Order: sequence, then structure tokens, then C-alpha cells
Amino acid sequence: MLALETENLTKDYAVGFWRPRPYRALDSLSLRVETNEVYGFLGPNGAGKTTTLKLLTELIYPTSGRISILGRPPGDPEVRRRVGYLPEAPYFYDYLSAEELLTYFAGLFGLRGQVRRTRVATLLDKVGIAGERRLPLRKFSKGMLQRVGLAQALLNEPEVVFLDEPMSGLDPLGRRDVRALILELRDRGCTVFFSSHILSDAEAVCSRVGIIVGGQLVTSGRLSEILAFQVSGWELVMADLDPSALAAFGDTIRRVTRISEGRYMIELAPDDEPERIVARLRAQGSHFISLNPVRTTLEDYFVQQVTARQAAPPAGRVMPEG
Amino acid sequence: MDILARGGRRRGALALLVGAVLMWGAAVSLQAWRERHYALPPAASDVLYFRAGSAVPRVAMGFDAILADIYWIRAIQHFGGTKRAAGGDKSYRLLYPLLDLTTTLDPHFTVAYRFGAIFLSESYPAGPGRTDQAIALLERGLAADPKRWQYAQDAGFVHYWWLHDYKTAAAWFDRASRIEGAPWWLRSMAATTLAEGGDRQSSRRLWQQLYETSDDEWVKNNAELKLSQLEALDQIDALAALVRRYTEQFGRPPDSWGTLVSMRWLSGVPLDPSGTPFELDSAQEGGVGLSKQSPLSPIPPQFTKKTGPTS
Amino acid sequence: MGRVIGLVAYHVFKESVRDKVLYNLVLFAVVLIAASYILGQLTAGQDIKIIKDLGLAASAVFGLFIAVFIGVGLVWKEVDKRSVYNLLVKPLRRHEFIIGKFLGLALTLLVNIAVMAVALYVVLALMNWLEPGLGKASVEAPVLDPQLLKAFALLYVQLLVVTSVALFFSTFSGPMLSAAFTFGLYIVGHFNADLAHFEDVVKSPAAGWLGKALYYILPNLAPFDVKAAVVHGQAVSAGYVALTAGYGVLYVGAMLTLAVLVFARRDFK
Repeated sequence: MLALETENLTKDYAVGFWRPRPYRALDSLSLRVETNEVYGFLGPNGAGKTTTLKLLTELIYPTSGRISILGRPPGDPEVRRRVGYLPEAPYFYDYLSAEELLTYFAGLFGLRGQVRRTRVATLLDKVGIAGERRLPLRKFSKGMLQRVGLAQALLNEPEVVFLDEPMSGLDPLGRRDVRALILELRDRGCTVFFSSHILSDAEAVCSRVGIIVGGQLVTSGRLSEILAFQVSGWELVMADLDPSALAAFGDTIRRVTRISEGRYMIELAPDDEPERIVARLRAQGSHFISLNPVRTTLEDYFVQQVTARQAAPPAGRVMPEG
Repeated sequence: MDILARGGRRRGALALLVGAVLMWGAAVSLQAWRERHYALPPAASDVLYFRAGSAVPRVAMGFDAILADIYWIRAIQHFGGTKRAAGGDKSYRLLYPLLDLTTTLDPHFTVAYRFGAIFLSESYPAGPGRTDQAIALLERGLAADPKRWQYAQDAGFVHYWWLHDYKTAAAWFDRASRIEGAPWWLRSMAATTLAEGGDRQSSRRLWQQLYETSDDEWVKNNAELKLSQLEALDQIDALAALVRRYTEQFGRPPDSWGTLVSMRWLSGVPLDPSGTPFELDSAQEGGVGLSKQSPLSPIPPQFTKKTGPTS
Repeated sequence: MGRVIGLVAYHVFKESVRDKVLYNLVLFAVVLIAASYILGQLTAGQDIKIIKDLGLAASAVFGLFIAVFIGVGLVWKEVDKRSVYNLLVKPLRRHEFIIGKFLGLALTLLVNIAVMAVALYVVLALMNWLEPGLGKASVEAPVLDPQLLKAFALLYVQLLVVTSVALFFSTFSGPMLSAAFTFGLYIVGHFNADLAHFEDVVKSPAAGWLGKALYYILPNLAPFDVKAAVVHGQAVSAGYVALTAGYGVLYVGAMLTLAVLVFARRDFK
């Protein structure tokens, strides 16, 4: 069973008071998330990541399309019991302490007595705010609120967790903790679906990613496959090379770096067949040392996808003013 | 203009504080100067804010009872303040409007009707002497509360004591007696009034009855005052007899009480029921009268006669 | 369902307490005690009546302010600050949220009114003990009149109606506008009787129709006000109390249903 599946999920907003024009925040999103995956949902600002997460948690209602979480619709009480959600930049209640908040929410799940106390204490510990448990939430910094948010998302030991920008507001140590937490959840059998800007973190934990630009999912797939196809170039190391010989290859060669006497590293553009170049250079008397593909980072891939889309926005989507 | 940054925070804060105090002091002095030269119009305390009776309950919106209380308090203050003031306007002109507002806001405010009628009936300078307003007030009370026989009784008293209209008074007592819950003695009050109205004895009986049967302390006090006045009249009669005897004997009235005391006709200076000495006053009938300073003064003249109805 | 509603309600109450709303009771007590001292010579023996009037009027005013100012924020604050996101993804349905919020403020008001009623009785008892004569002057109703409770009870139901209106506005409108509308409806609610006879004022049948329609739709708040009757010892029958309270409860139900209607299909952008 899929943990999450959407089919042509679309969300339109009416923008403007006197003559509302439709603004398509999400356009026919169809994605699938397997159980026990860690899925990174990536995209630039305003792409529709938060919109998607709100649709999945039924904070907003779709204009058309279907959502299925653990085989059920998002509003189903069964789903609510088995899912956890961390909103973006969460805000809680000024008048409660962290412990009281978690106790409140645990109560909504039907937890009581000793079970509830233990669960709350464990989670406070796990996210690292056990020391501030009695402090009123209005005194919490952004990073601390983020931790409380994570804690409350995990109160019911959920099977599926939706996290909207889980790393935001955290310092590098905090981000490392969250990455570890996500991996731990995966190891426990949980499915994690999160949106993020921080691509290096996504790269570190995700098994699959989807990139959304302008309300449309432009690509989705296993991280390893995406990055495998995207070779950004080659690094060729040849020995006994005469650099002047390289001039013949023209623009193909991006850069040449001298490593030592006669030994050079040559950076090649991805399109070429580096074997051809190697053959010709060998024919001129150089020796082949190594050839390595330079993989795009997720960031490169991301920027490439986004800029391509933004240069030519898809028809039918009215951009908001301002 | 970053005062706090320059010259240290302490000095900056002090400067601001001093500035604030100076400005406040200047404002206060300006106010005092203005008051000396351009005083506020004195009628400020007379403002009712509302004159039209029926507009007020609308604005009151559920708080009419407490507003009625406020106007009631103001009515008492107006009455008491005007009464106690040494001179000035004794027209009590705001009394009826204030009572009108009070009873419009709270039509069941019994005391406002009853005392209101008492205040309104009192003659100058103790009150405005507006028996017409008093009766009107009581009639409105009856309209709001037809079962309150006390209003009818009070109206009877107004006609009896101030207007000397014994037929109407008896009619009111009779009407009161017919209201369900009225006490039995109202019947006899009606009869007595018709038969002997104006008579000092029957007056005394009426007031005595009211005194004994009223629960309101002020109604009681009012009755007590009238009884004291009647008693004073009896005393005046006795003293007048003495003055006549003296005049017959010596050819002229005595020039002071001391004369009569030295002759052992009196044991001491005669005091009225309030403790104020009586006056020898040739202008008064019988040569004796109440002192102007006495709280019992003035007595409605008609009651100085001992017997018989008048007018 | 009751459990989660109870949790939401409990937390509304807890927030009121922590926001020191209940401190208004201190002001109330001070006002009553000060008034009972000052009245003394001013009122021709009407102290008891005036204290009762003052106690009931102050309760109405304080209660109204609590109902409106907390009511208009009940839903709005959570939506504006986005704390509602956390709640709605828990096993808490949207209508349970609305009902819970209402019941929480109802509880706060109940505590407030109850304490004010007790305070009034205490002040009256004290006044009577210190000056027994005053009690005799107010023959219409006993000093410690149990009928006062009827006035408080109907006041409470009236405040619940106001709360439900405030909460309804709170589901879609900011606090300033909501407070203005709620106060406006409170005022209109007292003039309702005029609407029923609107055609007497504006001579047109259409106006009469409109007036009658508004009379039934807008909350009719004047009948809840039995303060004057109770202070004057006039009978307020149990039937009257029951029917008026029943109207209030049903009106509350209607308002909450409307609130749920607005809230249930709403997108939280």
C-alpha cells in the first residue's frame, strides 16, 4: 500500500476582491510515496510546497483531484490518528509551557495518565528541550519552537509524518539532529514526507525527491537515478601531456589544471564522448590516468530545473501581482 | 535628536523627566489662570443631560434601574442642597424634572413617588409648594402600579394638609381603601375627613395613623413633623391665653418671656417641640408664634384654628 | 467527541485565567464595597435597592465586556497566529473545535457571574448586619432575596447569546470589526421591541415587514433583563425564566451552527 498518493491534485484560489481571477497554486499534482520512504519535496518559494502539505492535512480543500493517505481520504479520523504534521514556522500558545502543550495534544489523541506523561517526557528529551519544559512558550526562540513542533508531530507515534520545512530556524547542530531524527523514523518504519529549501539536507536523507515549480511537479524519482543521469562534466587526468595539444579540442575543454610536471587535470563538458578525447590524446603520446564523472549536486539540478521553468511559465497559470 | 545617546543615558532620562514635570506644571498654571479669568458657567451642576422623559429608557438599555437610582440621588441632593443653602434660588426648579426622569426610568420606584410628593408639596422656603406636581406624580405612580394604595393615600394627604380640600381628600382616601390590600383604617380615615376635616384633632388622628402604620422612615418622619407642628399649635394657644391674661391685667402685652417667668406664670422660657423658644410677636394672632429659626416653621396658617373646616 | 471538546474548553478557561481576566472580579468587589460605604446619606434609605441595582448592572457590564472581548478572539486569534493548524490535524473535527471554544468561554463566564453573585450577597448581608434598619426600608423584596439568582441566571444566558454572536464573527472577521458588530447587535437587541412595530414609525408595509423579519432574526435581548423586576420584588415566574432561557439556548445553537458552517469549509491559506 502506498503511504501517500495524489492524483491530479489541483488547487485554485480566487485572487482579487471585485473581479476575482483564478490563481492556480497547484496544477495536477500526481505523486506517489511508498511506505517507509523518505520523500523530499523541493521547490522555490511560492511553488506550492506548503499548499500541497495543507491539502494533505486537510487544512485547505482541493479544487479537483484525489488524495489518498494510507489508502484513505485525508480527513478520515483514522488518518488523523496515524499521521503527524509539523507546520512551517509553528506557533503555539503563549500561555502554555512546552510540557503543557504536549500534554494537551496528547490528550486529543486519547492518551492519558502515565502513558501520556511518559510519552511527553520522552519526546521532550528526544528533541532536546527537556530543560525548558516548564518555560512558557512565549519565551521560546524560533529554533526551540521548531523542536516543540517536531515533538508534537510525533506524539501519536505516527506511521506517516508530514514536515513543512523541518530544518528552518535551526542552527547546524539542530539540523544535524533533525536529519538523525528523520533517519531514525525511517528505521522505525515511518514514512517521512517533507518540504525543504536546504538541498544538502535533502540529499543526505531522502530516498526520493520531487521538484515542484510554479505549481507543477517537474520531476520526481529516486535521488540516485536523478543524479546519475545528470553528469555535469568529466574530470580527466592525463600524464605526459603537452597542453598545447588541447587547443585543438576548442570549447569542449572547460579548464585545464596542472597537477605536476606533465600531469594535467582536464575538465570536460558533459556532452562529449570523453573516450574519443582520451583516444586522441593517447595517440599523441599521453598516458591515461583516470576519468571520473562530475555529478551534479542536487542544487545544480534544482537550479537548472527551476530556471528552465521560470523562463517559460506554463500557460493558464496567472501569476500573482507583486 | 537622540537625547538618550548623547551625554549618557542617566542625564538624558533626567532631562526628559524634568521636561515632563515642567510641562505639566505649566498646564496646571494655565488652567488656574483660565479659571480665574474665565470661570465656567455656574449652571454646570444643574445639567440634567436629558429632559424628554421617554427618550431616556431607550438610551438606558437595560441599565434603567441604576440610572433611576442616579437621578434619585440627584433629586435628593437638589432638594437638600437648595433647602440648606442660606439664600439663592429657592424655586427647586429641577426637582420635578429629576423626579420625572427617575420614575420614567423605574416606574415602580415607590419611594421616588412618595417622597417626591412630600418634597414637592412642601411650601416655601422648605420646598417648591407645587401640590399640582405632587398629585401628578402620584397619579403616574398609580398608573404604573394600580395596586399601590399608598399613592392614593398620599394624594389624599396632599389635598388635606396643603390644599384644605377635604372633600377631595376624603374621595382619595376612599379610593385608596377600595384597592385590594389596603388597610381597614383607610375607610374610617375617609369618613373622618369628610365629617371633621380641618379639625386639629382629626388632623392629629390622621397623622398619627400614618406615623404608626408606615414602614418608610421618611414618611414616618414627615408624619412626626406634622404631629409636632400640631402640638406646637396647641402650645401656642395655651401661651396666647397667658398673653391675653397679662394684657388684660397690665394693659399691654408682655415684652419678654422673662417677665412672665418672674411672675411665676411660666417655669421657664417656653420651647416648641423642637426645642426652639417661642416668640412673642404682636404681628401674630394671639401675640405668640413659632420662631423663624424653628424647624417646625412655617405652619400652614389654616391649621392655627382649633376647630371647624375652612374654605 | 465529548472528551476533545472538553479539552478545548478547558484550555480556553485556562487561557482566561492565565490572562488574568478574572481579576475583573477584584474591581467588581471594590466598586460594590466602595458604593455601599458612600451611599450612606445620599439615598433616603434606599441603600439596599441601589446596591442590588449596582451589583446587577455591574455584573451585566463586566460580563458583556468579557463575552465580547474574549469572544471575538476565540477563533480569530488561533487562525491569525496559525496555532489552529496544529489542532485541526489532530483527531479534532472542526465543529468540535468551535463547540469547545464556546463552552470554554461559557465556563469562564459562569465562574465570573457566580463569584459576582456571591459577592453581591455578601455585601448585602454585611450591609444588613451593620445597619438592620435599611432592610426594613426596602419592604418590596428581602435583603438576601433568592430571586436575585433568577436575574443572574437570565443575565448569564443573555451573555451566552452575546458570546455565540461574537464567536460567529470571530470565524471570519478580525477583532475590531467583530467587536463593533457584536456591540451593535447587543444594542439593537435591546431595542428589538421597536422593530416589531416599525410600521408605526415609518408608514409603509414594506418597512413593517422588514421590521418584523429583523425582530425575529436579530437576538431579542431585552426579555433577559429582569433586574428591575427582581429588585422591586415583582414576581418572575419559573415559566418565564424557562422560556426565555430556552430561547437563548436555541439562539446560541443557531449561531454556533452558522459558525461551524463558515468554519468547516474554510481554507486556511
